[in-house]
Amino acid sequence: MNFSGSILLVDDEAHIRKFMSLLLRHLGVTRIYEAANGNSGLEVYKAERPDLVMLDVNMPQMDGLQTLKALKELDPDCVVVMLTSLANRQTIDEAASLGAANYIRKDAPPEEIGRALADTIDNCFEPDESDAGAPPQ
Amino acid sequence: MDNPLPTTSIDLKGKRILVVDDDRMNVKIIGGILRHEGYDLAEAGSGEQALEVYSSFHPNLVLLDVMMPGIDGFTTCRTLKKTYGDACAPVIFVTAKSEAEDVVMGFDAGGVDYLTKPFRPKEVVARIRTHLSNQQLVEQQKLLVDQLSKANAAKDRFLGMCAHDLRNPLSSIRGLAELMDENAIGILSPEQREIIQTIHGASQSMLQLVNELLDVATIEAGHLKLAKVPTSVAEIVERSVHLNNIEAVKKNTRIEMVRTANDPVVEVDRNKIRQVVDNLINNAVKYSPRGSVITVLVHSSDSVAGFAVRDNGPGIPESERHKLFKDYGRLSAEPTGGEKSTGLGLAICRKIVEAHNGTIGFENIPGRGCEFVVSLPLYK
Repeated sequence: MNFSGSILLVDDEAHIRKFMSLLLRHLGVTRIYEAANGNSGLEVYKAERPDLVMLDVNMPQMDGLQTLKALKELDPDCVVVMLTSLANRQTIDEAASLGAANYIRKDAPPEEIGRALADTIDNCFEPDESDAGAPPQ
Repeated sequence: MDNPLPTTSIDLKGKRILVVDDDRMNVKIIGGILRHEGYDLAEAGSGEQALEVYSSFHPNLVLLDVMMPGIDGFTTCRTLKKTYGDACAPVIFVTAKSEAEDVVMGFDAGGVDYLTKPFRPKEVVARIRTHLSNQQLVEQQKLLVDQLSKANAAKDRFLGMCAHDLRNPLSSIRGLAELMDENAIGILSPEQREIIQTIHGASQSMLQLVNELLDVATIEAGHLKLAKVPTSVAEIVERSVHLNNIEAVKKNTRIEMVRTANDPVVEVDRNKIRQVVDNLINNAVKYSPRGSVITVLVHSSDSVAGFAVRDNGPGIPESERHKLFKDYGRLSAEPTGGEKSTGLGLAICRKIVEAHNGTIGFENIPGRGCEFVVSLPLYK
């Protein structure tokens, strides 16, 4: 995958973080941050300013949509891909209207997840930007 | 009771009966008969009073005189039925006249039976017992249906929750195994690879099972939401044929598509109908011998359009036809390449197609194989 930026993974389930981070490493992403809930996701975002956030929808306390809203308030340009376990049309639409760039089903095969991620990166980043790992304008 | 009737197995003692009659003597006579049977009685001397007593007494049955000063029996009955609806106790009219006309009017007003004066005690007792028993059975049945539908809803919720909570970990197991197989954490030894592929295969079939269970639970719970858009049948079929050919090659099987001259359009939830096409093609590949040719034909008429999937399998015995589209309706046929089956696929297909007001059916093709046909209302 043609992406040298950094990615923040926010998911309350450790096995999902393990799987996604291994997949991202396999795809050539080297800078990966992890957070187990919305609040710490926001903290990591403030500290590290990753280029892309992969955000679980279904989390206890602060859920994915609330976290997405907070992220967008913090940085309207942040690129967020929602991680869903079920393709719930309503949630997806809501995430889209809140400014999510895409969604990925966690139960999709790794290849498909990789493709969806690559599509998002192609759409959201200019080639030179992603090479430089710079955040979008 | 010297001569017990079959219905005495239902305990009617203590059932409440409201006796409505302006004639005190009649009330006394009938009261005597009924008290002897162990019923709990209340009395009213007019229709107006009956309506009042009903609301506090909540009788299980009402004996209602037709001819009364003030509002008559039929009007009282209509008012009761209107006020209490389905929950209203059965009403038996009491009338001096036995003309058919009166009786019919009584039934129109919502009565279930009638008794004529002068009373014959045995008749009174038998009729009342019959109606009380019927009423009790109806109530029990309502209660049972209510409990069953609650239990069924709980089952669906449970199934949905289980499937939900099983999916994520299973996806991770499968994904991690796949990544390891792709040497994501280093080159595996042949034995490690074999083990990791076993883990991958097992988690893959479990995930499919869980997905199908979840589909069933969602559909059963009435949460199947369709995002319908006008869609070309050929387009949906083409995509599925293409994708399924990739897997079918492993069994040396080929899937061919036959189009119609026109390009029929149906209004469907694309993902759901794709699932149906995939499932039928998948089954065709699964149950056909290696090296088969599966044909998917687009069809259309004036009012419907759809597709048919024709295979080279052994066909389906007529004796198993009734099981075909039912939940867990696995048949005697075995997959020819060691594939797995949950027996839910066709049931899900049927539910999806029916949610689109379409039909799904199957025919054995004389000679060899069988054909599944899906028809959906044509989009105009």
